[in-house]
Amino acid sequence: MVNLTINGKQIEVTEGTTVLNAARQNGIKIPTLCDHPHLTPYGGCRLCMVEIKGMRVPMAACTMPASNGMIVETDTPALKKSRNVVLSLLFSERNHFCPFCQVSGGDCELQNTAYDEEMTHWPMQPQWTNFPVDTSHPYFILDNNRCILCRRCIRACAEMSGNFTLGVEERGAATIVVADTNVPLGQSTCVSCGSCVQVCPTGALIDRQSAYLGHEKNLTVTRSICRGCSLGCGILVHTRDNHIVKITGDYENENAGTLCKTGRFLALNEQRTRLTTPLKRVAGQLTATSWDDALATLAEKFSASKDKVAAVASTRLSVEALSTFKSLFADGLQAKQVTSVEEGRPTALQSMVADQLGEAIEGKLDTLRTADCVLLVGVDLTTTHEVAGFYIKRNLPKGTRLIIIDPNENGMDGLANINLKPRAGTDVAVFSAIEAVIVKEGLARGAVDENIVSLKSALAVCELNVQDVTDAARMLAEAVAPIIVYGKGLTASGNPGAMEALVRLANVIGASDSERKGLLSVKGESNSLAAALLGLVDQLEVKDEAVYVAVGDDFVSKRLASKLEKVPYLVVQASYESALTERADIVLPVNIWAEESGYVLNAEGRLQFASAAVTAPEGIRSNVDVLKDVARKLGVTVNDDWRAALTKRTSVVELEM
Amino acid sequence: MTKPKISTDWMAGCSGCHMSLLDIDERLLEIAELTDIRATPITDLKEPDESGVDVGILEGGINNSSNEEVAHRMRSRCKILVAFGDCAVFGGVPALRNMCGTEEALKRAYVEAESNDDQGFIPSDPELAVMSDVRALHEVVPVDLHVPGCPPDPDVIYYVLKELAEGRMPEIKDEKLHWH
Repeated sequence: MVNLTINGKQIEVTEGTTVLNAARQNGIKIPTLCDHPHLTPYGGCRLCMVEIKGMRVPMAACTMPASNGMIVETDTPALKKSRNVVLSLLFSERNHFCPFCQVSGGDCELQNTAYDEEMTHWPMQPQWTNFPVDTSHPYFILDNNRCILCRRCIRACAEMSGNFTLGVEERGAATIVVADTNVPLGQSTCVSCGSCVQVCPTGALIDRQSAYLGHEKNLTVTRSICRGCSLGCGILVHTRDNHIVKITGDYENENAGTLCKTGRFLALNEQRTRLTTPLKRVAGQLTATSWDDALATLAEKFSASKDKVAAVASTRLSVEALSTFKSLFADGLQAKQVTSVEEGRPTALQSMVADQLGEAIEGKLDTLRTADCVLLVGVDLTTTHEVAGFYIKRNLPKGTRLIIIDPNENGMDGLANINLKPRAGTDVAVFSAIEAVIVKEGLARGAVDENIVSLKSALAVCELNVQDVTDAARMLAEAVAPIIVYGKGLTASGNPGAMEALVRLANVIGASDSERKGLLSVKGESNSLAAALLGLVDQLEVKDEAVYVAVGDDFVSKRLASKLEKVPYLVVQASYESALTERADIVLPVNIWAEESGYVLNAEGRLQFASAAVTAPEGIRSNVDVLKDVARKLGVTVNDDWRAALTKRTSVVELEM
Repeated sequence: MTKPKISTDWMAGCSGCHMSLLDIDERLLEIAELTDIRATPITDLKEPDESGVDVGILEGGINNSSNEEVAHRMRSRCKILVAFGDCAVFGGVPALRNMCGTEEALKRAYVEAESNDDQGFIPSDPELAVMSDVRALHEVVPVDLHVPGCPPDPDVIYYVLKELAEGRMPEIKDEKLHWH
């Protein structure tokens, strides 16, 4: 611990704490603009200057580590004057005229700081230079005229999303924030994660979706969970008058404020048409009807053809809804087929291996933070589960190595130290080849399988170059904390041998041992893991069944739509119109994600509660309620104990619930 | 004690600050009681007394030679000069044109405006004031008090007038400090 004095107050902080954070922790406010609690200190704005006894000049509190016996003053007349000058310089540098700025009136940190410093005006006038405004991006605008060059956006781009798109060009007063080599943002390498917009202290980065829809003080904030994929990032849903104005990353959750475009922007860019009333096919036409009639009609049909019922649920539904669905159709109705839209492709294989071993084989997402070598197998983290990709990308400049095994083009190919592009479907051979090299060179850490295939024969199958495989094997073997991240490219093959070979490789390279579990799969949609634990993993094969599809607010894949094209009777529980609702016999309108609360079990087995942020239009019911209504009509009792249902089989990853 | 004399004027502004001043409603009577309101744009007397006033209040920025004259006249005839509203304090909305230059702005307004026929021209009558960049009041004459806001809140205006009327210097801070 370190003891110091700030403004006469005795303070104790842990070693390495900056003077700024020491002050913050003790309720002493030091103004700052470039510093952000979740970004590396930068020391650029010079607003947090403090006087430290014995130092010749004032020091920047944000970069100064607290040390024993330090005597700090934060509010002397000289410092106040210096802050005033710094703010005057900032204001006069560009167009910081508040009356025509979106964030003015509460949301601008520059303006708020000036108010705190009791500035009624700034004594220096602007130089009236026009700086570029970049409006090429679909989700936000970069107005360099409002920029104070704090570089928070640049640090967020690098440290949060690991994307390194933003940087600066020119020098001194002419400095501007640019994307890549000064290309329009919309054509740059930007991945639209929006972290830059979230951290911008002024109106330089403007979110198109929420601009002018209200200041923070007008908005209600609901802490919730993103339903975009199985990572389950924490989000804050900002609403006003029952409308979602914007979504920002929750700093308190594991994702520490980071989101991807799916979580931040796409959720508010909904183009589909909402279903507002139950529909029933009458004389070939879908016609609006009452809930009672819709439920009675489908119940009649399902009761009549009990042995010919199939049911499919989206893995975006809440745990409660999935469990109710399972209880209704599998346990209650004993339907012929009960599965999910994913059909277990992202989860079934590893679940099977975990079942066989009787224990969890996967680790937690936070192992990515400390991994010094990442082996990425069959998943493109630039198109799905992007935040997991960010966790990897942000560590690459620190020396973390990346090896990719993917027969297809992968968005992260350009970042990889080694790229292995084997023949599709030869995963076993690839893993065996790497293992063979490690064993041959005596680099193995875990138990070695004596019956290992020869390197030569393995290479012949996967058609990889011996040098690349040897390099990859050495890189993995030399790593202190290697980790293997895999996805649907591997698991959808349905080949248990591939999964077993991967688990063996994880042991050999020391990614997984008794202490550490450095194996993780990103899985599929929001509740992919829960669906796997409930056993909703079977391949959907339907012919003449009456089918119940609980889509929720999920998108309907072409694969699913074509499978259900010819079924004789189709009931669709959905929020939006789709190819499925078009051909359905009964349509039941349900809430979207933001309208219902429910649990989600993320890819690493962390159970989180996603709170509803808005209320649904009248006449629309929650997914759980509709399933229960159906059960009631069918005379089936559903089991509400979803926690017990989740723990019936071995989980691939340790559950935290 | 004699009542302090107050005079106001407007320059390159929209007169909104004076509207906000009228928005102090019945409190105007109290101010009228406490002070001697002299020349203002909304009363009959148009120029501050040559003998001088105690408080001069100016709305708007300075965007031509005429505004400059108004600013200098007020400064030379008042003891305390108040920059009233964002335009006087910073240049405000009119100062946006500084971003493109006065020439460009005049061209856009008089020649290129959609409502013009193709005969549009920039007025150049020697009787007209000479245009310049838009400046804040303090760039032209020394200012004693800045009251920002677009427009300043009536409550803030009342507070400022009351303090000045009773011989105190207003302190614009906390909830009274808003730039728009």
